[in-house]
Amino acid sequence: MSELITERKLRQLAADWISAGKRVVGPARIRDRILYTALRSSESLVLGGDGYLRPANSIKEFFFPKQEQLYQYRVRGRNIELLEPSADFAEQLIIAARPCDAAALPVLDHVFNWDFADEFYNRRRRATTILTIACGAADDACFCTSVGIGPEDPRGSDAVLLELGDGRYKVRPVTEKGGKLLAGKTEPSQETAPETRGPERKFDSAKIRAFLENHFEHAIWAEHGRSCMACGVCAFSCPTCHCFDIVDAGPAAGSARVRTWDTCQFPIFTQHASGHNPRGAQPARQRQRILHKFSIYPEKFGKILCTGCGNCVRNCPVGLGVLNLLTEIEHGQHL
Amino acid sequence: MANIYKPELMEVTAVRQQTSDVKSVALRFLDPECAAAFSFQVGQFGIFSVFGYGESTFNICSSSNWKDRIEFCFRKVGRVTEAMWKVEVGDVIGFRGPYGHGYPMDVWKGHDLIFLGGGIAMPPIRCAVWYALENRADFGDIFIVYGARTVGDLVYVDELQEWAKHERVRVITCVDPGGETADWKGEIGFVPTVFERAHLSAKDPVVLVIGPPIMIKNTLPVLQKLAISPASVYTSLENRMKCGVGKCGRCNVGSHYVCKEGPVLTMQELQRLPLDY
Repeated sequence: MSELITERKLRQLAADWISAGKRVVGPARIRDRILYTALRSSESLVLGGDGYLRPANSIKEFFFPKQEQLYQYRVRGRNIELLEPSADFAEQLIIAARPCDAAALPVLDHVFNWDFADEFYNRRRRATTILTIACGAADDACFCTSVGIGPEDPRGSDAVLLELGDGRYKVRPVTEKGGKLLAGKTEPSQETAPETRGPERKFDSAKIRAFLENHFEHAIWAEHGRSCMACGVCAFSCPTCHCFDIVDAGPAAGSARVRTWDTCQFPIFTQHASGHNPRGAQPARQRQRILHKFSIYPEKFGKILCTGCGNCVRNCPVGLGVLNLLTEIEHGQHL
Repeated sequence: MANIYKPELMEVTAVRQQTSDVKSVALRFLDPECAAAFSFQVGQFGIFSVFGYGESTFNICSSSNWKDRIEFCFRKVGRVTEAMWKVEVGDVIGFRGPYGHGYPMDVWKGHDLIFLGGGIAMPPIRCAVWYALENRADFGDIFIVYGARTVGDLVYVDELQEWAKHERVRVITCVDPGGETADWKGEIGFVPTVFERAHLSAKDPVVLVIGPPIMIKNTLPVLQKLAISPASVYTSLENRMKCGVGKCGRCNVGSHYVCKEGPVLTMQELQRLPLDY
């Protein structure tokens, strides 16, 4: 015997949290996009329909915000006082995440914790419960199955919901936290959820890694790098890209040191004070992003720094994104 | 909350102008507990900050034997260092560190030491020179070849003169052709060339070479001619960093994170890395 939850109960759950003053994050329509956002009302939560696949952003900003204070300071002449940051670590619920978003978190846990534990990330991670909805469809940009993830992957989720149709979801609890959240909100069910279907496998990540480790210099980088506009949308909408900058914000007399998102696609990202730039042109910067995801991170932490969500493919204004490049490599066009 | 990004506060105890755009600064911890607990290895770096302007990464260029202070040296080139330039004795700045791996001074014991430096790369050599002089019996002969574009760009000139007075220490200073003054008594030429023609009588030396990429590139063939193994040649990479703790994603050379696994590495290690520095 297993359990199911209705859409009505799911929205009620969101509504209860919102009215309790707690943050609920979920997909909602913002202008002409569906984005993960802090919901004002459970009614705006998008659960499907109209060919909806997944949001154009990721859930990472609820663990690693676009900008956040690392600490505040007050300067009075030579007297400097360091103060706690105005950071928010309150309990939050992410509802209707996709498996490719949730699965990014166990990947990111490594970089935020090797030797030096980043408590800004860790505290939000501990304070968050994630209810994921498995994917019933995939588009041309989806490639989770090529990076070892699937349409109902439980990694990073506290519970996975599988669509039964008619606004009902079969519940697959993953963690104790997930089970507790849904306790009393589900009903017994004998139904089996229709089989989820992921995208067909588009490349072999082991073969890609072997290629990358041996082709630091290759024509493919120039070909792809040339058309990149260095806008950074691939990195900003990526569930796993985590590069950041640290800057001072506000007037010198009393403000904060702030962490902001950054990307290896920006020209000054690696530029030395002398003017020397190890990655002085866009091809080298494109190469870095691909290498970091498919070779460097796996070497360091044993995991691919990509969940195959396809955001970089869908959002790229010039039709790049990692998938195009990797399928070219896969099909041996550059071997 | 444990906060890996929060700096310690340090009071500026001395500022020296080294050149028209380079200054060195000495600091002491405001918190006595922190001062007592602090230690580092020569070759490690810190992240120094001026509140209201931001953070910058510099080598800790004092000897690890000096317990009353740490020092760093910077060139005025951007927003943070412009603000740093205005810092005076008594002012308070931020410090995080020490980060990275320092020079393996234990491995260097018993060897002659050759230091090759260019321009603003003197500070990360200076800390090792002082350390070696303070532990003199542990090391063989010391050779220092230091060059800058012009006479006015040489830093720590007084200390170079002081080191030259020590026994078993030879100091050669040089400037690029055209960078000399009428009364210049040092060599004229680039560091690799000056080093080659000096015919230093070092036996099985350890070499530390730090400078602009072009200087390092041109020094390697000279070292090869002298049959010095790349495993005995060290450098310190100076990649741009923000966090210093392996997270912000910009200092890596291939899979080598300079902040955590460097900045010090041997030429043998460097040769295995992609040309991304």
